[in-house]
Amino acid sequence: MTSEDRRLLWHHMRLPTISFAALLGLLAINVTLGATTPFRWAWMIEAGVTLCMVLVVLLVSMEVWRDTPLIRVFSMLGFFWVLIMFSMTLTDYLGR
Amino acid sequence: MSDAVPVGIERLEHFESADQQREASALGMWAWLLTELLLFAGLFLIALILRILHPAAVTLAATHLKFWIGAANTAILICSSFTMSGAIELSRLGWQRGMVRCMLATAALGTLFLVLKGYEYYCDVVEHMVPFLDQPYALAADPATRLFVDVYFVTTGLHAMHLFTGVSILLVLTRMASRPGFLARHQNRIEIYGLYWHFIDVIWIIVFPVLYVLNR
Repeated sequence: MTSEDRRLLWHHMRLPTISFAALLGLLAINVTLGATTPFRWAWMIEAGVTLCMVLVVLLVSMEVWRDTPLIRVFSMLGFFWVLIMFSMTLTDYLGR
Repeated sequence: MSDAVPVGIERLEHFESADQQREASALGMWAWLLTELLLFAGLFLIALILRILHPAAVTLAATHLKFWIGAANTAILICSSFTMSGAIELSRLGWQRGMVRCMLATAALGTLFLVLKGYEYYCDVVEHMVPFLDQPYALAADPATRLFVDVYFVTTGLHAMHLFTGVSILLVLTRMASRPGFLARHQNRIEIYGLYWHFIDVIWIIVFPVLYVLNR
């Protein structure tokens, strides 16, 4: 592999490598919080960290951020349906 | 690079261009993934409702889950997503040999996940934590724990089934992709399959906190 090949490879793998490191870092936070449970409201941070991990995989690994507008809307629409399902169900259970 | 091969898509007759074919393939895969998302979201919602209705029982049942195996499996799937991204990027560069190695590494990591999951299920059986088997249930004194344990087995079992299917398809695709001329005609198949693999990763990234972490 020549230096030009290495440069080309790094150019292509830079973003996946950064997202890989970010995902492992975020997982480390969740595992530490889960193993120690340092305070009662740690679940809020755990939920936030999970949301960040999902967004990193969706936007970077699944390349939604650079897809066409149609696919971008379509992919986000699915999570909007899930949001509706969770909102309606939890409104019922939490409002009883 | 010396072993770089031509990259492209063999346009099918009902598409006007290769770009249109590429976009239609991605959109089709996303349509299917969204139905899968709704399937798993229903299970996540059930786990959340159980947490609201029976907090003590869910915490008791969750402490019997193998937290560190779940954490290791999450790390393994994140690594497999990285190798899959590597396969996609190398396929774009036409570096076929490297791409095939990345795909094999992805399949190996997926298999490792399944082995660990199998060991986890084995431990559950030994510890009498499988309420639907013909054996005494360890937490029989608290019937509400059964609900959470059942959701745990359905969710992780369904995910494992998807992963097993994913590994099988990946091995077939790897065999096809290692043949000469594949990248010149079907490069986008690697990208489309990559969407599925990353989606399996996303689902587990949600499963791990919902079942193992948040309820401790």
